[in-house]
Amino acid sequence: MQLKYIGKDITRPDASGKITGRVQFLDDIKLPGMLHAAILRPDLAHGRILSIDTAEAEKSPGVVKVVTGAGCDLVYGDNIRDLTPIAVDRVNYIGQPVAGVIAETLAEAKAAVKKIKAEYEPLPVYTDARDALKKDAVLIHENSGDFWHLPGIEPIGGTNIANRYTVKKGDVEKGFAEADTVVEGEFNYPFGSCSAIEPHGSIAWFHEDKTIEVWSSSICPFIIREEVARVYGLPISDVRVHIPELGGCFGYKSDITVEQTIAYLASQVPGRPVKWVATRKEDFLSTLIGHGIRTRIKIGAKKDGTLTALKTEVLHSTGASADTGVHVLIAATHNSTGTYEFPNCYLDGYSVYTNTPPVGAFRGYGHQESQLAMERMMDILARKLKLDPFELREKNYLGPGKVTSLGETLHTTNGDIGKCVEIVRRAVFSSPKKKAEDDYYYYGRGFAALMKSPKGAPFSSKSCYLKFNRDGSVSINMGGAEVGQGLRNVVRMVAAEALKIAPERIRVYTEIDTQFSPWEWQTIGSMFTTQGGRAVVKAAEKAIAELKKTAAIVLRSEVDRLDYDGDYVFVKSDPTIRVPVPDLGRGYTFPDGVTVGDVVHTTSDSRLPLQSNPDENGQGRMGITYTFGAQACEIRIEKKTGKVIVDHFASSFDVGRVINPVQIRGQVAGGVMMGIGASLHEELKFDGEGKALNPAFRRYRFPTLKDAPGKQTIEFVETPGEIGPFGARGIGEHPLVGVAPAVLNAVYDAIGIDFFEIPLTPEKILEALKQK
Amino acid sequence: MSEKITFTVNGTPRTVDIDGGEKLIFILREKLGLTGTKRGCDDASCGACVVVIDGKAVKSCVFPVKKLEGKEVVTIEGVSEGTKLHPVQKALIEAGAVQCGYCMPGIVMELYALFNREPGASDQAIRDALDLHLCRCTGYEAIWEGALLARKYLAG
Ligand code: FES
Ligand code: FES
Repeated sequence: MQLKYIGKDITRPDASGKITGRVQFLDDIKLPGMLHAAILRPDLAHGRILSIDTAEAEKSPGVVKVVTGAGCDLVYGDNIRDLTPIAVDRVNYIGQPVAGVIAETLAEAKAAVKKIKAEYEPLPVYTDARDALKKDAVLIHENSGDFWHLPGIEPIGGTNIANRYTVKKGDVEKGFAEADTVVEGEFNYPFGSCSAIEPHGSIAWFHEDKTIEVWSSSICPFIIREEVARVYGLPISDVRVHIPELGGCFGYKSDITVEQTIAYLASQVPGRPVKWVATRKEDFLSTLIGHGIRTRIKIGAKKDGTLTALKTEVLHSTGASADTGVHVLIAATHNSTGTYEFPNCYLDGYSVYTNTPPVGAFRGYGHQESQLAMERMMDILARKLKLDPFELREKNYLGPGKVTSLGETLHTTNGDIGKCVEIVRRAVFSSPKKKAEDDYYYYGRGFAALMKSPKGAPFSSKSCYLKFNRDGSVSINMGGAEVGQGLRNVVRMVAAEALKIAPERIRVYTEIDTQFSPWEWQTIGSMFTTQGGRAVVKAAEKAIAELKKTAAIVLRSEVDRLDYDGDYVFVKSDPTIRVPVPDLGRGYTFPDGVTVGDVVHTTSDSRLPLQSNPDENGQGRMGITYTFGAQACEIRIEKKTGKVIVDHFASSFDVGRVINPVQIRGQVAGGVMMGIGASLHEELKFDGEGKALNPAFRRYRFPTLKDAPGKQTIEFVETPGEIGPFGARGIGEHPLVGVAPAVLNAVYDAIGIDFFEIPLTPEKILEALKQK
Repeated sequence: MSEKITFTVNGTPRTVDIDGGEKLIFILREKLGLTGTKRGCDDASCGACVVVIDGKAVKSCVFPVKKLEGKEVVTIEGVSEGTKLHPVQKALIEAGAVQCGYCMPGIVMELYALFNREPGASDQAIRDALDLHLCRCTGYEAIWEGALLARKYLAG
């Protein structure tokens, strides 16, 4: 296919507004009469609220209202309704809102919060699912079995299990009986923070006419609108949600979280907008955190490397509510096969309530956690079988005709893992390792294959509104949240290609506003390019059909005899009989002013095909999109300090079609860097009492320029997919998935020590070297 | 107790009332409406709030307004002229360094100060300057390349 715009480095439309500081982020918004909120958080992670004394705070200067949860009976959640906007009679994690002060200025609100005195009766604290599962463990939600939840979620009442998810394929016992070798391991992917540089925040305004208006740095305006409307008993159309520019997301600004808290505070001061922006500490502890996943894995294989069985147990410390984490567990569980076909699987996952902030989406969404286990085990298995690790993997890769753990048969259009592997293999392993060590360093190389298979809610859709203007320029409006990934440019480039007009003539939306924006479920799962791009193509095709319909009248022809080239609609057999496209945009006006045809504006939407719900064994065709990739690295370990230095990181993904080379490289480079952060430095730590030890950038060490790999090789395979525009698949999360196992496999190569958890800090390496 | 303080912002003299304890970021964002300067942390670690004071890159989230009297402040709003971008901005865009853009004002100001002082700044000097900034989106690759490109542009 000859493409004119796709595949070119076309500058993103939001670049100049961002580089000049002109775009508006949430904290930049000022509204008339705006009040400010500050929130009291508990000093213990689990306890009953005995009393909250707000008398002093109420007298504090500038204070308009002090709000507690006494009497609040609102519950919310998109998957499981286990969230309350504010603690009612009990606190379940350290960052939970206990009371809020609304004041004229932020300084006054903060000063007053310090004057609130709350007393608690402590309860036992569990920060790890293993403790919360013990027989005598206190229930974090006493009535968890009664919470409303989506079908398919299985809480176990009377325990701290918020959901149990099981996948059974084939006969796992038979599979292990057929195996010549069995390997087992347990892996830990600890808590982390998405830590966008822009902290999360929200503004809520209960208007005199009973409508509600919300602004949020969120990627799910429509979920917020629907949930706020439900909770306050309003028609959905009476809630209006605005999403300004977003300063990064990486997962944790998805789902509805802080918005309900701020709405609850604002509901107490109707008529005035209330603004709250997280401090960095609140951003760590009062929105969503990531991971907290332990994966126990057991693999059976024949002597020649053929895999026969997989048993996985995924234990998710999901935090004090599971609404946002339940699908992370599901993804972690069924993707624990990684890129391999196992004829027999028993995959068992548990979301467990614990006393940490709720766990939610983190770029990668469950995939990196359990594939850390799989990709490390592949190297370990290869060693045991005395096989080359590449050969072992190659024997078992998923691909056309192979069947995933969910029973989905893959096709050529799902991509080619083999080609990705070849690219990174060439980049990192083409020559023998130069040296094993010298006076200062140990050297190592590691590899990991990966698969990302996101899906949305069954009703998930992305829609597009496309409008031709009278000069032939085009305006496009969608509900996809631009968090920095560059999706607005994807929209523009896909539309340019589909409409055959220059991208400069296409203007895409900036702010999302539920009053005007087409509906979208939420912008998650690396699905916008695929699903949103498809909606753009559909809207463009409809618009071209509209243009032809009017042209048929003008040219006194018939639609099927006409063609369109971006500039003109013309008669196929005689292109000189034609009408310029700009003349058709709002119908065609004859010289005498008489106008025929409709205004050319179209809408479309795009779902991922959900073909059947999973059966009781978790088997079914569930509208999942698959993308495969491979990653490898060359590292050095400093002997004196134990520090791991990544000299070269190579990644390749079969993305179907590269839309914008600069942007896609940026996605991968950034994702890899996040993965290196997780592998080597980042961990959000809680002590035994559930108190966070490092909720600040200086203590939660995330990578700076000096941690960046010396070199990144980034290449793509383009096996067209079936759904996305011009064959494109998503890429946002994938670059993170294989990083930790590639690094840990390289560490084994360097020093012969197997590690089973991250982050691999210098201290841990020095300690292990000493033991050795 | 409020007092008055006078300083220059992007070439224009301004006088504002202060209580004394505020930091510069507050004055810029809340009193002068210059919201291009961003806040990203509470412990002076992210660099999103960097502005230039008397030629030097400074974290406005910790700079006490009391020390501002008579100083010249340049913020991100004062770097481009009309619609004409500064070479540092142009270079960062061309290198693909802009993703969410939240870190960008601080990084532009850091490089602006560096290259004004030392148009041919060494790789090491650029590295040291950029290492003071956190960016969660780019993995720093494109920022680094943008900085090198900016140096080239500024060298003429
Ligand atoms: S706001 Fe982070 S360094 Fe100033
Ligand atoms: S571009 Fe998003 S933080 Fe740097």
